[in-house]
Amino acid sequence: MKNKIGTALGLMTLGLMLVSLFMVFEWVPTEADQGIVQRIFYFHVPCAWVAFAAFGIVAIAGVFYLWLKDQIWDDLGYAAAEIGMVFCTLVLVTGSLWAKPIWGTWWTWDSRLTTTFILWLLYGGYLMLRAMADDTEEVARFGAVIGIAAALDVPVVILSVRLWRTIHPAVLITRSGEHGLEDPRMVITLLVALAAFTALFGWLLRLRFQQLRTRTRLTILRREVALIEAAVGDY
Amino acid sequence: MGAFAAVLRKDLRLEIRSGQSTIALFALSLLIMVVLVFALNPQPIDRARDAAAALWVALVFGGMLGATRSMIAENENGCMRALTLSPIDPAALYGAKLAAAFAFMAIVEIAAVGLITLFFNLDFGADLARLAPSLMFGTLGFAALATLLAAISSRTRAGDLLLPILAIPLFIPAIIAGVKASEAALSGFPLAAASQWLGILAAFDVLFITLGALLFEHVIRED
Repeated sequence: MKNKIGTALGLMTLGLMLVSLFMVFEWVPTEADQGIVQRIFYFHVPCAWVAFAAFGIVAIAGVFYLWLKDQIWDDLGYAAAEIGMVFCTLVLVTGSLWAKPIWGTWWTWDSRLTTTFILWLLYGGYLMLRAMADDTEEVARFGAVIGIAAALDVPVVILSVRLWRTIHPAVLITRSGEHGLEDPRMVITLLVALAAFTALFGWLLRLRFQQLRTRTRLTILRREVALIEAAVGDY
Repeated sequence: MGAFAAVLRKDLRLEIRSGQSTIALFALSLLIMVVLVFALNPQPIDRARDAAAALWVALVFGGMLGATRSMIAENENGCMRALTLSPIDPAALYGAKLAAAFAFMAIVEIAAVGLITLFFNLDFGADLARLAPSLMFGTLGFAALATLLAAISSRTRAGDLLLPILAIPLFIPAIIAGVKASEAALSGFPLAAASQWLGILAAFDVLFITLGALLFEHVIRED
């Protein structure tokens, strides 16, 4: 039963990815001003979506862990943080690749770039904490606290950075209320790409989560075995 | 309230008798500013900007040292365990540690403001009083953050190495707002010019003091 869900998710991801690749490279029209480079957008935006969703899960799982004290929530949060970090890195890399020909620079301290970079640093800190601490119930609590603090920091980051500077194109909704995707095929391609990446995220998250669950069960079993051995040794 | 006052009194008395944290904090802040004077080689045009930058770098790194020292002292003799065993509300304990950290940082910053005025050839006088809100809000926010995070980092293998890795990313919005507000004050603009930045700093303080008071219990609990 379990494996069937995993296989189905995997196959769905594969199918959507192939369709999405075809649409991005063959079907969708080339953007008039930016040319071929704009196509990275269909990769960049879904990555950002997955990264934000993953970091949201980290915070929510943190709240539930502190509340219910069930290891299952920590396993979920940890798995989401790792995957979110990968996609956050991809957002920065794909954005940088696009920025070089369009803005003429690999990096600029624009508000969205800065916010994404700070997000990357925040969850980098979370993963460093997990790497540097022993695997105990204690570190699960610490992780939950950092996950919640990081998520609450994001609105303040956005507020301060936006006031600081911005040049990023407002693709989806501009100030005047219209969006920057003039051809309907562009919107459809973006939606398919988003679906493909969401499926990929679900598949990866499920895999890593199950792995961490197994590890948790193993830790509990080891502890029980040690207790039994100690008890037997007394006789 | 009694517990809050007792813990705060203990921390302040310890500091008055030993002077350890404040002196070390001051020495570090002084050296950071010396490094920045040579690194930036301040020119007359950008003096206010460089001075604001130096002040905030000193605040962040000095504050980190102060928070680490205070937590290491608590853990060394199992004091933290005694405190968690005593019937103190964790929020009151957090408040007391925060207040103590704020007091040490504030003392050092008053000295630091005097030093940057000298080092960066700023005008003594009205400018300096205008610095007070941005520095006070910034220090409060950093103390709130560092008190919560030092309790975490002091109990990992990495120890004080982990504190900057956790604290600085979270503190970035306050650094952006604080440097801008301090720069405006040092350039001679009235306080109203920096009201938006001060608003962000105040929001940051409220957010992290509340968060620390709510979550401190989960950080200090031992299993």
